Amino acid sequence: MTDTITTASAATEPQHCVYDAKDFASGAHPVWCPGCGDFGVLAGLERALAKYGRGPHEVVLVSGIGCSSRLPGYMSTYGFHGVHGRALAAGTGLKLARPDLEVIVVGGDGDGYSIGGNHFIHTCRRNPDMLYVVMDNRVYGMTKGQPSPTTEPDWDSDIAPGGIGLRPFNPLAVAIAAGANYVARGFSGDPNGLAELIVDGLKWPGFAFIEVLSPCITFRPEQRDWKKMVRPSTLSVEQDRAAATALVLADDGFSLGVLYRGDRASIAPALPTETTMGDVEREFAP
Amino acid sequence: MSRRSIAVVFAGSGGSGAMTAGAVFLRAAARAGYFGMMTQLFGAQVRGGESASLVQIGVDPIEAQPDRFDAFVALDWDKVEQFAAEIPLDDTSLIIADPASGPVPPGIAKAKGRVVSLAMTGAGESKLDRALLGKRVNMFAAGCLAALCGLPEQHIAGAVEAAFGSKGQDVAAANTARALAGAQAAPALALDLKLAPPRHNERWLISGNQAVALGALRGGVRFVGCYPITPATDLVEWLAPHLIKLGGRLVLGEDELASINLALGASYGGVPAMTVTSGPGFSLMVESLGLAIAAEIPLVLVDVMRAGPSTGIASKTEQSDVNLAIYGAHGDAPRVVLAPLSVADCAATTEYAVYVTESLQVPVIVLSDQMLGQATAVVDPVSDRPAPLKRKINGAGASQPFKRYATSGDAITPMPLPGTPDHEWVAEGLTHNEAGLPASGAAMHAAQIHKRARKIREFDAGERWGEVTGEGDTAILAFGSTVGPAREAARRLAEAGRQVRVIALRLLAPLPVKQLAQALTGVRRIVVIEQNDTGQLYRHLLGNKAVPVDAESVARPGPLPFRPSEIVNYVA
Ligand SMILES: Cc1ncc(C[n+]2csc(CCOP(=O)(O)OP(=O)(O)O)c2C)c(N)n1
Ligand code: SF4
Ligand SMILES: [Mg+2]
Repeated sequence: MTDTITTASAATEPQHCVYDAKDFASGAHPVWCPGCGDFGVLAGLERALAKYGRGPHEVVLVSGIGCSSRLPGYMSTYGFHGVHGRALAAGTGLKLARPDLEVIVVGGDGDGYSIGGNHFIHTCRRNPDMLYVVMDNRVYGMTKGQPSPTTEPDWDSDIAPGGIGLRPFNPLAVAIAAGANYVARGFSGDPNGLAELIVDGLKWPGFAFIEVLSPCITFRPEQRDWKKMVRPSTLSVEQDRAAATALVLADDGFSLGVLYRGDRASIAPALPTETTMGDVEREFAP
Repeated sequence: MSRRSIAVVFAGSGGSGAMTAGAVFLRAAARAGYFGMMTQLFGAQVRGGESASLVQIGVDPIEAQPDRFDAFVALDWDKVEQFAAEIPLDDTSLIIADPASGPVPPGIAKAKGRVVSLAMTGAGESKLDRALLGKRVNMFAAGCLAALCGLPEQHIAGAVEAAFGSKGQDVAAANTARALAGAQAAPALALDLKLAPPRHNERWLISGNQAVALGALRGGVRFVGCYPITPATDLVEWLAPHLIKLGGRLVLGEDELASINLALGASYGGVPAMTVTSGPGFSLMVESLGLAIAAEIPLVLVDVMRAGPSTGIASKTEQSDVNLAIYGAHGDAPRVVLAPLSVADCAATTEYAVYVTESLQVPVIVLSDQMLGQATAVVDPVSDRPAPLKRKINGAGASQPFKRYATSGDAITPMPLPGTPDHEWVAEGLTHNEAGLPASGAAMHAAQIHKRARKIREFDAGERWGEVTGEGDTAILAFGSTVGPAREAARRLAEAGRQVRVIALRLLAPLPVKQLAQALTGVRRIVVIEQNDTGQLYRHLLGNKAVPVDAESVARPGPLPFRPSEIVNYVA
């Protein structure tokens, strides 16, 4: 492998911690159902950014559509609440145009893995230096309870009576295969643990993907039991993608923590200007 | 008698070099100071199939396809006949071919043109020589035709060197030798194709697609998200290396859904951004076009139209995306649509599009078409530069929380760049309140719709709305690649004593109703010409009461270009 680590984010790593978690709250009242896991993710993000130390004006939260994708409106940072499934593309364009900004893309399992699945693969492949947090509740929450790509095959719903009958897809394995540089799993019930992962992911060069188990207590009330099922992962893999893939495929989906950290190069930065419009125009002389 | 213009076709099978012949012929004319235009025809093969280059050169600017061609040069006859319908010939046309290629096929012979024999293969060439350096029949033909038109040998040689210089000395020299051999064979043909002397001015050789790219760069576009699609690909292929050297970047999206969002993300970050596509890609982009309108994010979207619907005809022209450009999106989604008036105008129109999108914070669609985009023209250096307009980013003095989408006062509200302290805002595609938070009340929904509508309503393109040429009480209304033929038709009608006005519309949406009314004063008959079956522009004009109900619609599908004679026959 000739890939080398990019150190762009190490260079911008902040020196001081002058912010408090509440500096990152917009004060707007979330539309989420009381008890929704996404509250925990919001808290985790606020705490992580306070710890990370960059001001709200230097951070942009980008999202698509879904309950989870509402999150940017609840933070005091800049934000881009786009259309369903396209957040990673918008986030990538922003990060490449403005490498000085901290770009964090957030959303749900439907948004990221279903309608946005193609963008998920290709963002991993481009490996831009940004963070992606998916609030996975294994359901389309906003449209009131249809199976998503991570839903269990036998989960009964109006639209798929008796279950969808398909094996869920493993987003972590897909991310590793497609080239994401950092893959972790968090739990919305542990905002402090999640905040640590988020800071770690922000600091790690390249594309950092954090899958967060975030229960939909309205359409998947049984997910309240997740707090009894999660546990820290006993393993974490550096560099070796085959070993990391084996780890996430063998896992039952409830191991938390950093699962993989790689050293793939990020998409190359823009080059310094080396020509003028005059030179460009001279090419049109016959 | 010397001619003011001449139209030549070079055609041949895959590998015959018909395109290069046309390009060298056109470049030699440009170096000699003539104007010109070249379009291309391809067979169905993905690569290396038969092709034809259609070139017209002359003393005056050329903006339309000719009615007929003066000479058809066959580099060989293999599968060339399929182009017959797109290459009008008559009994005064010359059919120039090497007898060694066999008889003239019936599809070409039926025009009854005069057949001229020309041995094009060099006697002294070894097989190896040909294999290494190319057959070069094409260069012989280009050199011969150029000489017949009176182009000096120094310009023929210069054009060949410019075309082959990057391939090394040997290749350039061998090709130059063949082109000059062709030039020397010209007198023996005893044909009179000589052009009147040129006016010897500095010229540019540029395609419509290149001109769009130039305009974008001039306007300050430094980020492009795109996905390959004919006939827009060569635009971004030319643009990419220049954009990169100017410190910008081009990101190849995984599809058009990504491409437009890549551009929107960059634009949100403050970098003027563009996406480039053709019909099928534009259809995919409509989703996020609506987002750009709702969230008020600047974006230039270039659509180089091709024949549709669905995948249509990838390499051939049509003006059938008018509805999509003007109306495509759910909800009330007003935007600006501009169409270039000529190959050269692709630059100014696109540069203007950048300024309009940046200043209005509304996406601007540049509606080009294959005929304009892939035509290479010899033009005066493009000096038309619209006055720059900038994005409003200063939110200083604003109340807290910052009201990105304030509805009172100026409809254009500041959009501070991310990174600016104390002005954080969320670009929001949901119906939102003034602070940019989702809102679903009827009053705010209407207020935001009206804010965006007001930006469009108050937009004044000034002189850039379009161009009026000629006088008379009959007006031809045209846009894009039909402007050239309409103007040529009007010129011919004027020569015949019939004054006709051509109204070339650059601003298709919002329709410049006032300026149009002014342009139509004294007009009793209006003919709206467009290359689609349903009269998309015509209906748009009628719907906006921009033309009276008795205006006539001349609408027919592509890909055959409108020829001046077709318009003359209709109007006369
Ligand atoms: C193009 C498009 N199709 C469908 C929808 C309807 N829709 C809104 S949110 C959503 C699913 C969201 O699921 P997920 O991303 O898992 O978010 P959650 O609500 O579960 O957090 C769908 C299908 C839409 N907004 N846009
Ligand atoms: S529907 Fe589910 S995901 Fe959506 S807010 Fe309610 S609990 Fe959360
Ligand atoms: Mg979900």
